[in-house]
Amino acid sequence: MKNYLIIGLLAFGMLSPTTSNSQAVPSGKSIADKTYAKDDGVSVSRKLTMELKDKRGKIRIRETTAMRKYFDQEKRLAIFYLTPTSVKGTAFLTFDYPDASIDDDQWLYMPALRKTRRISAANRGDYFLGTDLTYEDIKLETRISREDYNYKTIGTEVIDGNKTYVLEGTPKNDKIAKELGYSKVKYWVDAAVWMLRKANSWDSAGNHLKTVIISDFKKVQGIWTYHQIEVNNHKTKHQTIFRFSDIDYKTPLDDAIFTKETLVNGL
Amino acid sequence: MSFKNQMLIVLILAFTGLNAQEKKKIFKNSFKASLVVASDISYEFNSKNLQKSEIFIKPEFTYKINKNSKVVLKGQLYTELSDNLETGRPKEETVSSFSERLFIGDKTSLELREFYYYTNIRKKLRLTIGKQQIVWGETDGLKLLDIVNPQNFREFILDDFEDSRIPLWSLKAEFDMKNIGVQFVWIPDNTYHITQDFDAPFFTKSLFQSPPEGISTRFNKTIKPKRFIADSDIGLKISTFTKGWDLSLNYFFYYDDLPIFYNDLQFSETGEPFVSISPKFERQHLIGGTFNKVFGSSTFRGEIAYVFDQNFSSTNPKAIRGIETSNVYKSAIGIDYIKGENIISVQLFSDIITDNISAYNLHKFETNSSLKISREMMNDNFKAEALWVHNANHGDGYVRPQLSYWLNSSSQLFLGSTVFYGDKNKLFGQFKDRSRISLGMRWGI
Repeated sequence: MKNYLIIGLLAFGMLSPTTSNSQAVPSGKSIADKTYAKDDGVSVSRKLTMELKDKRGKIRIRETTAMRKYFDQEKRLAIFYLTPTSVKGTAFLTFDYPDASIDDDQWLYMPALRKTRRISAANRGDYFLGTDLTYEDIKLETRISREDYNYKTIGTEVIDGNKTYVLEGTPKNDKIAKELGYSKVKYWVDAAVWMLRKANSWDSAGNHLKTVIISDFKKVQGIWTYHQIEVNNHKTKHQTIFRFSDIDYKTPLDDAIFTKETLVNGL
Repeated sequence: MSFKNQMLIVLILAFTGLNAQEKKKIFKNSFKASLVVASDISYEFNSKNLQKSEIFIKPEFTYKINKNSKVVLKGQLYTELSDNLETGRPKEETVSSFSERLFIGDKTSLELREFYYYTNIRKKLRLTIGKQQIVWGETDGLKLLDIVNPQNFREFILDDFEDSRIPLWSLKAEFDMKNIGVQFVWIPDNTYHITQDFDAPFFTKSLFQSPPEGISTRFNKTIKPKRFIADSDIGLKISTFTKGWDLSLNYFFYYDDLPIFYNDLQFSETGEPFVSISPKFERQHLIGGTFNKVFGSSTFRGEIAYVFDQNFSSTNPKAIRGIETSNVYKSAIGIDYIKGENIISVQLFSDIITDNISAYNLHKFETNSSLKISREMMNDNFKAEALWVHNANHGDGYVRPQLSYWLNSSSQLFLGSTVFYGDKNKLFGQFKDRSRISLGMRWGI
């Protein structure tokens, strides 16, 4: 009887970690679109603490102030390093254009040189300042790319009591795969708030590369907001935890914050 | 005491207590302090001695007066335990009295590195007033437009520019006109390069022409600008970002940070000939510009500068007082190629003396190049880099490999070396005997 029950449950997919029903689940593209449609506020200011832990357990902590603002469809992001003292004053600015065919413009201010260096955004698969997220990951936040992958929605799964849609994505072509450094991705997107809750990625050789877990979702000033991102790199055994606090969507951010002059002068 | 009065006292105490706490909280949020301690020991291959054994202690304080204004103070205590780089107490004749370092004994100095007030007036005008560093330009390693602040040549150009650049009392005003940024600088601080004495390890002898053999020299007092307004430097930078190009136009009216050495052949009372050398700082105009743009994985960047009427020490016997004048065109182009954690950076510097003169130790066309390769590993824990600077005219240059490693969030170790090569009478080759290996540590809280 017990065996029949298990066979029956398996037949309905109820014991599988991922339930699948192609009729019921939205397409990957529509899910990707919905992650973009989510309300992010016009601007946000927050404290971002990055905890970098290597395979021997050595921890380095960096505290920053991260600010983001929409200028019509164009998104600008500025990150100012506050600690440790050795990297204090380092600041990063990116202009993310709505036209995906136009590369972002990026600048990095290095206080030791007192110079602002232009950085190529073509290498979007490069790791962001020693963390385990790439420049592209940082840019997307909890969205999933609309342009880079062919998606297949493979079912639903519950994470921390929340229903998620599970998608598998493969890069649309070899060039994109090479740029991003991923041959395959698997995303868990919250079915209610349309934010990424978990991601797995595989490198160009097909090896499991990273697991990203996004957690501590709370409404801040009426906007669903994540407060922690944990990234585990299975290849290097390195881990980065991003912690967000003092989140403020309401206080308007001056346009001048998102300029090279402010990178130099600081906040 | 009535209950009412007791309650009143309790309320007043509670209020004042809260007020003090609130004030403390506001102050804590507004006031930031940090400290960097760095040390560097260098061993010189040729002399088999320590070339330097230095310790920096750099406190920094920032007080945010309000959302738009702050005061920044950066101090520095510097000790060179071997007292080799700047032996004894330097005279600092080229430094204005209000920018001088305070020496404690021969080995230690205290310096107010920066002390300025920054304010953003009605989000229209940004002012930085006080002692500060103003940096122009796009190049690394060698300077074209980064001439607003003078430099201490204690270690020639091996010191980090952050440490060797001499902050000046100045005013920087910035405002925007649509998408054009305007920066105006006014520098009344009459401080110029600190060059080294004849017997210092990094005395740049290649800049000074020796008198004919058998003839002695007499140095006269350097003629240095002193007037607060009339001798101040002014500069203007206009910058914009358009169609993916970062562009700037620069103008600077300034005193060259190195004096010109006028030579006069004179005779002593006994009839002995001698060369009387009269150093003098002189005015110059410079116009220039910078550009950069990203192409794929590479950033293309460059600088140009045109200096009007620069005086040079001359080898032409007909040159009046040993000096000839020419305009100078300077340019630098560079490409930074980034792939993953690897950066390859190539720069080509060209100087052209436009007039037909015989400048000492300089060709009409001078070409320097630099190659920098760096790789960050282990999530930026470990960095390996190497810089090679080469002068194509004279075949001299230097190579500088370095390894750095983060021990934890606040401590970093360095191991590096500098090897000079080439003709001992040329700019880089003259320091052949100064080649060294260095070990350093940097710690900050």
